[in-house]
Amino acid sequence: MTRVSTLGELAGSLAHELNQPLTAILSNAQAAQRFLATEPVNLAEVREILHDLVDDTHRASEVIRKIRALVKKGDIEAAPLSVASVIRDVTLLVHSDAIVRGIRMRVTVAPELPPVHGDKVQLQQVVLNLLLNAFDALESCPALDREVAIAVTLEAGDIRVAVRDSGTGLPGNKFDKLFLPFFTSKRDGLGLGLSISRSIVEMHGGSIWAQNNEDRGATFYFTLPTQSSAWRGTRRRQPWARRHRLSSWWTTTPRYAGR
Amino acid sequence: MVDDDPAVCRALTRLIRSAGYCVEAFGSAHEFLECCPDIQGCACLVLDVGLPDINGLDLQNELNSTKRPLPIIFITGDGDIAMTVRAMKAGATDFLAKPVNDSDLLPAIANALRVSSQALSSRIELDGIHGRMARLTPREREVLALLVEGRPNKQSACELGIAEKTIKVHRARVMEKMEAHSLVDLVS
Repeated sequence: MTRVSTLGELAGSLAHELNQPLTAILSNAQAAQRFLATEPVNLAEVREILHDLVDDTHRASEVIRKIRALVKKGDIEAAPLSVASVIRDVTLLVHSDAIVRGIRMRVTVAPELPPVHGDKVQLQQVVLNLLLNAFDALESCPALDREVAIAVTLEAGDIRVAVRDSGTGLPGNKFDKLFLPFFTSKRDGLGLGLSISRSIVEMHGGSIWAQNNEDRGATFYFTLPTQSSAWRGTRRRQPWARRHRLSSWWTTTPRYAGR
Repeated sequence: MVDDDPAVCRALTRLIRSAGYCVEAFGSAHEFLECCPDIQGCACLVLDVGLPDINGLDLQNELNSTKRPLPIIFITGDGDIAMTVRAMKAGATDFLAKPVNDSDLLPAIANALRVSSQALSSRIELDGIHGRMARLTPREREVLALLVEGRPNKQSACELGIAEKTIKVHRARVMEKMEAHSLVDLVS
């Protein structure tokens, strides 16, 4: 898992990559305004600025294209895998983080679950994202109440993963918005984690949603079709027919130094 | 202007030039350090924090240990409070977030240049004093030290073991060489 950056790191490095061309665009545009305000206008300078503005804009849209490519259909490696092992890998990864934050993690996995067909790394990202969000939701909780429960069950032929926290719950009642890109309630969040998670889950033929718990906190659910449920009817289409190359950008995104 | 991103460096350089300043761009801390001793006169440094070779904050420390530290305006895409505090404590004149607005950057530069010009004029004055001090003989320097302390001639003469008349001669020479018209002038 260490070779893969978490969605948070990924978002941080994307933020940096977008910020650079935006900085250049703003300064170039403001320089052009100043050059145009002086007589005689230095047209050569303004022409150069416009040329650079085009380049800077291309660079910014290239970053956006990378975000899209990250979760593009087909660009993943699909294989039969056990959701339980995905959960196990991720909980091991965040184990020390949970201890530091004083959070208890409880994992319950129903016995003899059928395998799903999917991309291990991407599904790990989804679980990791939901877990870290749950951890963040517990930030302002009294230490004794900090608990995250993960439950994996079989519901109508689909595997259902529930990540339940005992935090303050989700504000309002429009939980669909949570999964839109750049929607965030965190002070320094970019709002990409859940939208990327949704893309990944939907690409696997599943769905993702959130609910407030009756007592307190919130639960995030996602489902994944098992081989039998995928076979069962035409309502779900297997989104890939053969093994695809894993997006190289996903695995080689550098951690931005100094964050 | 030091920033490792060529597009950002070019754009910011242009913006600064559009306000009528002379500006030189460097792509790394090392590139800047190579030419740094040549910087004379009133100047300031617009410095990106996240440089690949030497971190901007470390470059600041390095520059602070030289004879003529430049006022520094930091720019960064992901600054936090700790980073800002560290930079400001080490004497940065400003700390700006990228993308940086001209209405923030240009006044910051004007302010930094004001700081630089003040430092420059006090340095010129100090250099003048040091130059004049160099003209004094060792004995005259001893007399100067006692004069500045406000000792009467008689006491100075006693301390140095010479005649009061000789002190008066030395004193006159010190005043002449230091280009001071009165004792008050000399002390200030």
